[in-house]
Amino acid sequence: MEKNSKKAMIITLATIGIISALLLTFVYQWTTPYIQANQAKKQKQAINKVLPGVVEVKRIEKNGNLFYEGYDTNGNRIGVAFTSTGGGYNGLIEVMIGVNLEKNQIYKISILNHQETPGLGARITGKEYKSNFNNKPFGNYNVVKTPPSKEMQVQAIAGATISSESVTEIIEAGLDKVTSAYGGGN
Amino acid sequence: MALDLKEMFSDFKNGLWAENPIIRLVIGMCPTLAVTNTTENGLAMGLATSFVLISSEIVISLIKKLIPANVRIPSYILIIATFVTFVDYFLKAFYPGIAESLSIFVPLIVVNCLILGRQEAFASQHSTPRAIADGVGMGLGFTWVLVLLGAIREFFGMGSIFGLTLLGEWYRPMVIMVLPAGAFITLGILVGIMNYISREGK
Repeated sequence: MEKNSKKAMIITLATIGIISALLLTFVYQWTTPYIQANQAKKQKQAINKVLPGVVEVKRIEKNGNLFYEGYDTNGNRIGVAFTSTGGGYNGLIEVMIGVNLEKNQIYKISILNHQETPGLGARITGKEYKSNFNNKPFGNYNVVKTPPSKEMQVQAIAGATISSESVTEIIEAGLDKVTSAYGGGN
Repeated sequence: MALDLKEMFSDFKNGLWAENPIIRLVIGMCPTLAVTNTTENGLAMGLATSFVLISSEIVISLIKKLIPANVRIPSYILIIATFVTFVDYFLKAFYPGIAESLSIFVPLIVVNCLILGRQEAFASQHSTPRAIADGVGMGLGFTWVLVLLGAIREFFGMGSIFGLTLLGEWYRPMVIMVLPAGAFITLGILVGIMNYISREGK
């Protein structure tokens, strides 16, 4: 067989492709359980963070959205956690929000995924910014550049107003989702 | 095939300085500029790239005679992509933190011209032992510059190195250093210094 014949080229590429696919199948099977465990762990940690005192979590689907209902040791529902996703400055931002439906209040938020600028927008994961939302009542928030003086104000990160506003909007959209799913917060 | 250790050593040394991929050949710039905002990211990127580079140089130097010249580039890319996918899964499974901070740049190692360049320029024309020496040298050469870049940028941009805070509260981080502009500035100065040093040596 001539070395540069069409047949030789096809056989070479096909062989390499088959061997690669075969090897990667094993790699995929070997790593997938670890990758899934990592993701589940990350989500569980986020739920525990945004629902203080939670001991048991139930997954519930309402209106096509997933909600994680958190219960305390006595089996009382303390709150609901859920994710809300939206556009940020560089890419999608995924936020885990924990809410108290009895009081119509946010417990806490946690950023699951983001691609914001390191040192600037990435500070949405910092305590300083996230604490803006601790125990905030549901509603529309106002992003301000000075320390907040009113309840519904959220302080933007210096140099990252777009990221700060994006997260605020993602949270507002998430709150609409949870109030409509749970019938106006009852 | 006799092992020529002297030849192998010079192949190895080549990548560290004389033909250093970043400061001499100026290839593989995309990950160099993008992920060196911290020392840890630079190191992880350097090691991941080195692994792919060495593995694919071994495989390609072994099968170079079997590949028809007309399809050598697609063949190389297939082999490189296999190793890159392996690294991608491996990092996601065992080092999720690093996988997250390198994000899209791990799959992008496939198109790092350093790797394809070394296959075409070296592995496809030399014996396997020499290809290994070249891969290790080039990989280490790539890694040390990435770590240095990452360290400089993290130090000025965050006041820390490897996540350890070195400068106290009084230090106001130069945010530009962790942004893309900081990468260009640091790399430019670094290449300038290296050129000056090697010119002085002559």
